[in-house]
Parts: sequence; C-alpha cells; structure tokens
Amino acid sequence: MNSTLVIDAVGQPNAAHGRKTLGLVAATLAAAGFGIAIAVLVKSTTVMSLLTQAVIYAIFALGLGFLLKQNGMVSFGQAVFFGLPGYLIGLAFKFAGLPPEILIALVIAAVGVFAFALGLVVVRVPGIAFGMLTLAIGQGFYVAASKSRGVTGGADGLNINLPQHLFGLPSEVFQNPGSMFVICWLVLVLLIVALTLLLKTRFGPLTAAIRENEERARFIGFRTLLPRAAIFAISAMISAVGGALSSLYTGFISPESLHWSVSGAVLIMVVLGGSRTLWGPAIGAVVYYLFRDYLGGQTTHWMTIFGVSLIAVIVLWPSGIAGGVNRLVGRVRFASERSKA
Amino acid sequence: MMIQILNGLVYGSLLMIMASGLVLIYGLRRVVNFAHGSLYMLGAYIAYSAALYFNFWIALCAAVSILAVIGFCLDRFGFRPLQDRDPLTVMLVTFGLLLIFEDVVQSVWGKQSYSLAAPEGLQGVVNLFGTPFPVYRLLLIVVGLLVAAGLIGWLRFSRIGLFIRAASTDPVTTAMQGINTDQISGGVVAVGGALAGLAGVVSGPFLSLAPTMGSDILIDSFVVVVIGGLGSFAGAFAAAMILGQVQALGAVYLPDLAALLPFALMTAVLIWRPSGLAGSRV
Repeated sequence: MNSTLVIDAVGQPNAAHGRKTLGLVAATLAAAGFGIAIAVLVKSTTVMSLLTQAVIYAIFALGLGFLLKQNGMVSFGQAVFFGLPGYLIGLAFKFAGLPPEILIALVIAAVGVFAFALGLVVVRVPGIAFGMLTLAIGQGFYVAASKSRGVTGGADGLNINLPQHLFGLPSEVFQNPGSMFVICWLVLVLLIVALTLLLKTRFGPLTAAIRENEERARFIGFRTLLPRAAIFAISAMISAVGGALSSLYTGFISPESLHWSVSGAVLIMVVLGGSRTLWGPAIGAVVYYLFRDYLGGQTTHWMTIFGVSLIAVIVLWPSGIAGGVNRLVGRVRFASERSKA
Repeated sequence: MMIQILNGLVYGSLLMIMASGLVLIYGLRRVVNFAHGSLYMLGAYIAYSAALYFNFWIALCAAVSILAVIGFCLDRFGFRPLQDRDPLTVMLVTFGLLLIFEDVVQSVWGKQSYSLAAPEGLQGVVNLFGTPFPVYRLLLIVVGLLVAAGLIGWLRFSRIGLFIRAASTDPVTTAMQGINTDQISGGVVAVGGALAGLAGVVSGPFLSLAPTMGSDILIDSFVVVVIGGLGSFAGAFAAAMILGQVQALGAVYLPDLAALLPFALMTAVLIWRPSGLAGSRV
C-alpha cells in the first residue's frame, strides 16, 4: 500500500504535474482568502481571540503532525519546541542589541539547530521508547524552566516586552486578536504550502521510504539518520514558529507552555485531525479549541471527554477528520464521474 | 551521606516496582502503558479512602486487588482487542486512559493533597549510623527487594513464568504449542496493575498523595525503563537503583540541578548505548 505512495510521488506524468501546480496555487489563494474573510466577517472579539489561539495551535500541531507523517514517530514532548522559543525571544529582547526581526529569525534557527542535534540522538531510539524519551525530555525542560528563577522567572513566567515596531508593523497589531488572526492564518497557509513543496522534492519520497522500512532504505544505499534528524528539526522549527507567534500575541511565557499536558493536547489535535495529510492536524487544532471552549461552558470534565474521544477516534476512525474528508471527496468524485459516463 | 544513600534506595525500590510492571506489560503486549502512573495514583487514593475505615494492611490488600482487577480489564477490553494494531496506536489509547483516570481521581478526591499514615508499629525511627531513620522507609526497601526476588523467582522457576518468558519472546510460536497467550497476558497485565497499585499504596506514607503524583512517578519510571533498556528486568532494576541514588544525592549536593539530573543521565546513557543498559534491540 505504501510503496505505491512512493512511486506516485516520483513518477507523475507531466500534464498532471502542471495541473497540480495550478491547483496548489488556487488552493493557497482560496485558503488565504478564506482566513481574511473570517477576520472581516466575525465581529465578536471573544470569538476572534479564540480563533487566533486555535490557529497558533494549528501551527504547533502542523509541526508535530509533520513528524508523525514523515517519520512515523509519536513525540510526547513537542511542547519543548513551543515554549522554548518564547523564552528565547523574551530573553533576547531583553539582552541582545540586534533588531527584533533578526532576533526572532535567529531564535527559530537556534531551535532548529538544537532539535537537529537532539534528533541525532533521539531518533535512533526505537519507536515506542521514543515516546517515553520525548516525554521525559519535555518534562526536563519544564522542570528547568520552573526551577531556574534567575533566568526564566520560575513559575511566575517571563514578560516579553515587544518593541514599538515589528516587521514594519506597530506591535499592537500582534496583540490584537483580529489582526493577529490574519497574520497567524497566513503563516499557517504559507507553512503548509512550503511543506507540500518540500515533500514534492526527493526529500519527500526518501523520508517516506525510511519511515516505511529504514533497513531496506539503508540496503539500497541511503543514509537514514540525517534525513530523520532533519525531519525532527523541521518539525521542531514549525512548532517554534507557533510558539514565537504565541509569545508575541500574549506578551508572556510561563513554564505552563512546556508542561507535558500541552504536548498531550497537541497530540490529541494531531490524532483528531488525522496525520496522513499536512492540513489534518491544523483542522484538528481548530476543532479541539472550539470543542473545548464549548465544553468548558458545559462541564469541568473535559479531560474525560477528550480521553474518550481520543480513544474513540484512534480505535474507530484511525485516519481522523482529514481521512474522513478525503474519503467523502473521493466518493463525491466517483459519483460525479459515474454520472458523466 | 549514609542516610542519603538509604533514601535513594527507598525511592529506587519504588521505581523498581513501577518499572517491573511496565516491563511485564511491555514484554507480553508490546505496549508502553502511559496509564501506569494513573494506576499508581489510583492505588494510593483507594488505600487512603479504605484506611479511613480499616487499618493500613486491609487498605493495602483492597487497593492491590482492585488494581489487579482494573489491570485485567485493561488487557481484556483494551490490549487484547487491539493486539493487531500498531503499538503506537495502543500507546495513544493508554494516553487517553491517563486523561480519564486523572479526571476521575480529581473528581472523586479533589485537588488537595492527602497523606496516608504509616501502619501502626512502623511509625517510629531507628538509629542508623548515629542518625534517626524512619522504620517505614526500611520496610519500603524490603518490599522492593521482595518484589524483585519474587518476580525473578516466579519468571525463572515456575511453569507460568516459563510460559510468560516464551510468550514475550514469540507469542505466535508459544500459542502454537497450545498455550493460551491471551489468558497469560490477562494475568500478567493484572500483576502489572497490582504492582502499580502496591507502589502507590506504599508510597503514601513516604511521599504525599496529590493529583500530580501519577505523572511525576510515570516520568521517572519511563526514565528508568528507557535507561535500563526497554523490556529488560535486570536493566530496569539497575537503572531504578542508579536513578534513586542520583535523585537522593543530587538533592543534597547539587540542589539547583537535582531535578535535571535524571534527564541528563538518560541522555548520557542513550548517547553511549541507544538501546539502554541491557542493550537488547527492541
């Protein structure tokens, strides 16, 4: 089943290729337009701030989903890459003398380098132990951030003082739900497009082959460690973009963003949305947020409800929301083609 | 110094009981049980409630038997129907169970912390090397040793132990020899649950009961199992003792870094041997 997937990605005929590129551009513009339309149409600030949070988490989940999709590994410590950039940005704004835009870029790059180095160690650990290991590493960061009061402010957290202007925009733009929603949405769409294009290069089929059978990939002459560590690093950097946006939006970072329950929540989003497509985890994040907000008003037992729904989705509907949508689209297409014939 | 080493042994014993449950379940079902910490917490809270009416020992028996039943149900209605699924899938299911158990515990017992009194006759202190040391903690070390010896004896020398070892090496071939591996697994996961419950109860008078106790011990037990080499008893026992010492001595000599030492230790071991101390490939 999965070997066809690899052949598919490599050997598309040219005409179909051109049509697919056009389709991608159209989908990108439509997605961007859809986000702007939401921002224009929705008037309530409460709803907008909820949606902004949801989209920030969608970026975070996109990173974790990418790891699961291309490496087949489940990380229980992805919150490290969400919380860490917040702390780094807060400290960099305080102490470093460079322009803030460069600092943010440096922070994301630093998270990438760190994750790559960490990845060289942790991706060698077999699948199941990887989950335990990432949970423990994540908790290590949480403890470190809570205990080192001098640097991180301990459990009280750290205020991030935004400069007056950021990327040519006044910094209020980043803290107002309406405008921040549009920024986050566009970043999300661009990241999904970038990842789609990345997976169309040799890197996509190569990492899929390694995911399916690392030993055989090695037999046919590929080095497998570096691509896997690279996936881990890319996944971390995407989540770091989400973390950076979150810290700019709230102007605050605390150890809570590093806690294992955050890693757990984002994992639920990925599973709920379905990790076989890139956009699945993002949808999962939005659904999770809306669902949780609705439940928050109804009951305090949302942990049980999420636990039950997580199990139900995994057992009954393993491909998540994205899988369901894809099946539905496939059925509609099949029906329309049959009616034409 | 001596006292710190003893405290390390106490915590190490606790981790050893937890880790042996994880290793047992992993051996038979290839599942990493993320709900193991919740079972531990559930054991402690059940014993707390039972101890309000009965004495410590009855509470201990009650909690351990209830947890054994929960463990059996976990296998019968969780792991067994899902045994053909990807191990990662089942791992996520146990993570869902973790969320449910945490919520149940918080709904029933609330968010405040409790303490469980040590059993009568074991509340005093003894003089060891000129320093007073609680008798109860010595009992914990003994319990840890008994569990380790009991498990090794059971697995090495009993007929069931033989079946368990066979089934964790190759379940299909074992089943072909006419052994009911599902029944064996049910029993083994029940023992794993009971051990988690036992660890929870005996930790009650030593640590305190709080809603975070489950995830705290889960993370340390995972560190132990990963350092030891997933699926290896000997590795887990050694790693539990090392981690206990690191925690106890670190708390005194490197208080600022103590909380990070387990993770540093784990990273160091994994760079040195990616599949853990016992080194078997998983």
